[in-house]
Amino acid sequence: MVMPEPGKEKTSEDTRTFVEMVAKKNGWHLHPDEMFLNIIIDGLTVNYNRYGYFSCPCRDADGVREKDGDIICPCHYCLPDQKEHGHCYCGLYLTGEFSRSGKKPGSIPERRFSGSE
Amino acid sequence: MEDTLQFTTEGEKEIFDDVALYALSTCGFCKMSIYFLRTHKIKFRYIYIDQLDMDVKQNVKSGLKEKFNVNVGFPFLVINEKDVLVGYKEEEWKEKFQIK
Repeated sequence: MVMPEPGKEKTSEDTRTFVEMVAKKNGWHLHPDEMFLNIIIDGLTVNYNRYGYFSCPCRDADGVREKDGDIICPCHYCLPDQKEHGHCYCGLYLTGEFSRSGKKPGSIPERRFSGSE
Repeated sequence: MEDTLQFTTEGEKEIFDDVALYALSTCGFCKMSIYFLRTHKIKFRYIYIDQLDMDVKQNVKSGLKEKFNVNVGFPFLVINEKDVLVGYKEEEWKEKFQIK
């Protein structure tokens, strides 16, 4: 596999490689609906090319890495959100258990507002 | 600020006088909320705030937070400039728009 150069614009294929790698490494599943998954992957790609990092596509970024550090994918809230809801905030990464349940991810409360990780 | 924003208006069923959606162009649940409104032909206006200039965007967000006294997440739906739904949960939206 050829990894893209850092700092270079990313394509949706690059981003797909990234999220598949993150999911595999952590034992997570990706959102089962290919259309929804493509929206998230395209959103991450837009954010990378806009800000220079994979800012969460479902949160509005400040555009400054220091301020957005906690929402760079996979975000700091991914694990507690998976523990409580079975998936992360944007619905990209599912636990195996949630994935096997056949349920569809929905909007969950924003843990970032509560200040807990 | 609100007056200068360029919303896109769609739909025909005027269930409420005004349905305004603040969304992120990158977000799956925002796209689902737009799909919901389109599917049910509800008249609404929407704007992708991540496509605004950074200073305009920050003003919009702080304006919404101040006006509705709620943390701003997306999708952010405002009905008749007073009722707010944050996030997309199909059942909640069906109930709000009285769709069975």
